Amino acid sequence: MNYGKPNTHRGPDKRGKDSDPLGANSEIGRKLRQYYDDLITEDIPDRFSDLLNQLEQKSSAKTAGNKD
Amino acid sequence: MSVYPGFRDDLLATVPSLRAFAVSLSKNADRADDLVQEALVKAWDKQASYQPGTNLKAWLFTILRNEFYSQMRKRKREVEDSDGAITGRLSVHPAQEGSVDLKDFRRALEQLPEDQREAIILIGASGFSYEEAAEICDCAVGTIKSRVSRARTRLQEILKITGENDFGPDAISAQITNSVFTA
Repeated sequence: MNYGKPNTHRGPDKRGKDSDPLGANSEIGRKLRQYYDDLITEDIPDRFSDLLNQLEQKSSAKTAGNKD
Repeated sequence: MSVYPGFRDDLLATVPSLRAFAVSLSKNADRADDLVQEALVKAWDKQASYQPGTNLKAWLFTILRNEFYSQMRKRKREVEDSDGAITGRLSVHPAQEGSVDLKDFRRALEQLPEDQREAIILIGASGFSYEEAAEICDCAVGTIKSRVSRARTRLQEILKITGENDFGPDAISAQITNSVFTA
């Protein structure tokens, strides 16, 4: 499924400091990202896109209703 | 009407990271999905308070986190006993177990107090800066720093990791093996 804009949240690339205690040289840091990436790459249940469709429909119906 | 065109798609695009954060907080996949759902509904209702161009992900993480803690307070009132201990024991998701290594890591992570767990996740995995994490958690930057540091020390103790800079061949091959399996 295409979720529009690509995500740029994979990993803390923007903080490339050497002193980073959770950086590439840290085993905890690597495990943490492995754990998180595992979660992030899971398939997203349809309920969320369904929910957003419903919310969108509800608010556009409300806007239309306000016109009379 | 949305606050700007494409708001819906932008919300949907953050769902994977919202879910990951929710699982990390609640330690339970089903509860995490309910949290994400609540957060999306709340975000939609209060979208007028979102300033386009600012960090949408941070805004959503804040909403989800507030929802988590308000649910926790409610539950604590409902069940005035060792709810935390029970949740901890029920939190294993057999279908989602990765390598033993990762399973151990998840268990260790679940032993951390909430404030330390969320801090280390936001900084070490979600890609937020210390400033952003402080805003999400509504606390000082120094507080986030000390929580991350305590979390890291505690994880090292639980996992018995000594010498944090041992970036040897084993660690590299483990990473490659893992990325092959999760690809």
